[in-house]
Amino acid sequence: MAVQPEVKNKTLLETALGLADDTFTRITAGISAGEFRRMLRGEAPGKPNPRLKPHTEAFLLHIKPTYYHESVTRFTHTFRLGLLSTYLFFVETITGLFLMIWYAPSPDRAYTDMTRLLSNVPFGQFMRDLHRLGAEMMIVVVVAHMVRTYLTGSYKPPRQFTWFTGVLLLVMTLFLSFSGYLLPWDQLAFWAVTIGTSMADAVPPQIVGATVNLLARGAPDISANGLLRFYLLHVFFLPLLLILFFFVHYYKVVHFGISLPAQEEEVGQDTASKVPADRRVYYLPDVLLDETMFLIGFTALMIVLTVFFFQAPLESIANPQSTPLHTVAPWYFYWLQGLLKIANKMVAGVILPGVLLGLLAGIPYLDPNPSRRGKDRRVAIISGIIAGVVMIIWSWMGTPYYAVRAAPATEIVQELIPEEGAGLVRELGYARLPNGIYDTTKEMLPEATLADYEKTNPGFVELLHEFKSLTAEFDKEDKDFNEPQSILTISQEQPHLKRIQWTITWKDAKGKDGKFTRSFFIHEDSMYWEQYGLRDFSYLSKPEKAK
Amino acid sequence: MRKPWYFWLYVRSPITKILLGMLAVLISFAALAAQGMFENKRMEAQTDNWHGRSVEKGAEIFSSNCYTCHGVDGKGLPGVAPALHSRYFFTQRMKDVGWAGSLHDYIALTVAAGRPSKSKSQWSQVMPTWSSKYGGPMRDDQVEQVTQFVLNWQEDALTQDWGTPAITSTTGVSGTGGVTGTTVTPMVNLDPFQPFHDGPSKAPTNTITYTVGTLGAAAVGTTAALSATLPQSAEAAAPAGPRPPQELYTAMACSGCHKIDQDQTPDNQGQPGPNQGNLHETAATRVSGEDAETYVYNSIVNPSAFVVPGYPDGIMPKDFKTKMSEEEIRSLVKWILDPNRPK
Repeated sequence: MAVQPEVKNKTLLETALGLADDTFTRITAGISAGEFRRMLRGEAPGKPNPRLKPHTEAFLLHIKPTYYHESVTRFTHTFRLGLLSTYLFFVETITGLFLMIWYAPSPDRAYTDMTRLLSNVPFGQFMRDLHRLGAEMMIVVVVAHMVRTYLTGSYKPPRQFTWFTGVLLLVMTLFLSFSGYLLPWDQLAFWAVTIGTSMADAVPPQIVGATVNLLARGAPDISANGLLRFYLLHVFFLPLLLILFFFVHYYKVVHFGISLPAQEEEVGQDTASKVPADRRVYYLPDVLLDETMFLIGFTALMIVLTVFFFQAPLESIANPQSTPLHTVAPWYFYWLQGLLKIANKMVAGVILPGVLLGLLAGIPYLDPNPSRRGKDRRVAIISGIIAGVVMIIWSWMGTPYYAVRAAPATEIVQELIPEEGAGLVRELGYARLPNGIYDTTKEMLPEATLADYEKTNPGFVELLHEFKSLTAEFDKEDKDFNEPQSILTISQEQPHLKRIQWTITWKDAKGKDGKFTRSFFIHEDSMYWEQYGLRDFSYLSKPEKAK
Repeated sequence: MRKPWYFWLYVRSPITKILLGMLAVLISFAALAAQGMFENKRMEAQTDNWHGRSVEKGAEIFSSNCYTCHGVDGKGLPGVAPALHSRYFFTQRMKDVGWAGSLHDYIALTVAAGRPSKSKSQWSQVMPTWSSKYGGPMRDDQVEQVTQFVLNWQEDALTQDWGTPAITSTTGVSGTGGVTGTTVTPMVNLDPFQPFHDGPSKAPTNTITYTVGTLGAAAVGTTAALSATLPQSAEAAAPAGPRPPQELYTAMACSGCHKIDQDQTPDNQGQPGPNQGNLHETAATRVSGEDAETYVYNSIVNPSAFVVPGYPDGIMPKDFKTKMSEEEIRSLVKWILDPNRPK
């Protein structure tokens, strides 16, 4: 641009302002400074709308629609769940990238890499917790997105294929989360994934199942090869697949438009793509502002949750020789674990989930009702609610409280100090477990001590109470567990190390004596935590250690 | 479209939206700043946490594999395996074997690769190779956990007295004012180190003032400054009254060498000491003129009087008479010879 003649024509100031405006317009991909000001002031766009230019100029904006129907921009119509699941995928990518810096997918290193990440990397635990929280939230959000679509009947023609790609995305999200589960290489990961892949084994015919299982695990048992495969699935293959299907899904969403609230249009009509001029809400600036502020708010929520509440669990290192009692799948697969308890592996692990998935994907074709109005869809909505309730019941059956109770003595100890994870005793911690012998058949604490502990150490009093009531409960329930005597012995094993010994004796139905003893150890410095509870910040008040 | 009843909940003003967004940014930064402020302390606590957890795991491994030879509290069993919970072990042992590395590495290597034992060594048991690298059952991380557990004795071991027995009360047992069933047992915090006879100790003799003991007097030889006996006062602190023979059998470390649940047969003589499952049949035939009871009694109080052919002399400790009362030895003999003893 020839500046000199312009300066001659206009003044210097005007030329400079013109250049500045030009630069601004380039950065905003077509919005001039004056138009930006009018946007901020909430003024209506002129005609023709000068705010549409960025949609043709900028890549990220060209995939967004230029305007929406006013009624679908209301928060409570979509809850912005689709946007949110996309955003969570983005969060997972960023945090995952940071985690990859400190992680090598090999059984020799994976677990120590995790402990090193937690104890030597500034914000390392934050990144890991955020990644885990994002993964769990993503599943919740994707499922909620699907439930919303179901309830508003938005899967109906012409959006059947959009729904189908959505079901694929749900499956990919679940697999992404599950494949990430193995990577820390702890007991939780190892056994959940061993159970998960063993379901592939049940795929008929036998040769196919065995091959799929072998391909997933990389060996008859999960080991270095299996870990590498899951790692590659998690960081490479599944994300790529998900990105591909996301674009297919989103293209369809934009193509057909977000379905309007049912009462906005006649039954059987679909007018989402023909928005009357007076109902248009332009993406720039209104929807963009809403979406941005919503995501900023959501990010703040995630950060606060991660800093103060949520902690990703890390159990002891994977041990193929010992299965911890009550191994559970991740919560979003509890329903599958529940099914596996009542049917054999082929039915519950392959056929039923396959049928369920087929039903889910086929919903648009199974539901011939053209109306999307709630009062016309009683059958669909009620059967949806029933399906939800059934899922919750199956999930409950997946928890250790259903059908896999071990012997009473084992169960009592497991309840208080599980083989893996926190539990009442470990959460109390070294300092609040006074040495002594506590016998449920006698006065567990002398009165003076009890009164003292109720003030200074209520958690321990609660523990003793729980120990006693659990023993009494099993005494009542189980006819092979009579006249029990449960003794908890806490003693000093080493400096800074206490031995927690459980001795439980009982008589079975025939009067034969039974005995159970088990020792655990608790170190002064170890911290055990609950996944979803308030964080333990007690280390902040710990005095500096003399080194 | 009709406005829904919750319409008032919608934030409509763009300015309010922007302000709320800015507030969220502020909250995020505040939370991140808070995290950043205690990041150093958190990392320290996490380092300690994972160390603590590995000590816990190590304790589990020790209490299921190692205690049979090294003793429940790591103070060793005479003639079977040396003490690890010992001042000598933490301060002098490395110098004596000429180990240039750290104690951590010394322990880890011994656990992983084991320790050879000569047939006439003072230790009746060979230290097995534990690491799966050398054919044992443990993974590397488990070897590390046991090592951390053994190292965790350091603080207590360093307070041990080299020589004169001092009676101190145990750390922390009760003291909470009469918790039911708790007994406060005084513990003799004396170095329980039992001499390694593999070479003279380079420790100054005036700091290790063990009284010349009865344990393998023949083996003392060049290591006169470094022979020891378990202090008599340790027994003084033991509970009064005779202990039951089953308990004695393990407490006196008989079980370290003899298998009471296996018969001695030509194919299965028993190592390092003869099997004792069928001793009630064979005892009377060993020494002419001694009936079964006399023979077993003499073998306990004076092991060298008769050594079963094929076994070396001088391995079995000779101080049992000082460690058990007459009554206890008699009951032990009876128990060993009882053909109906539950196996």
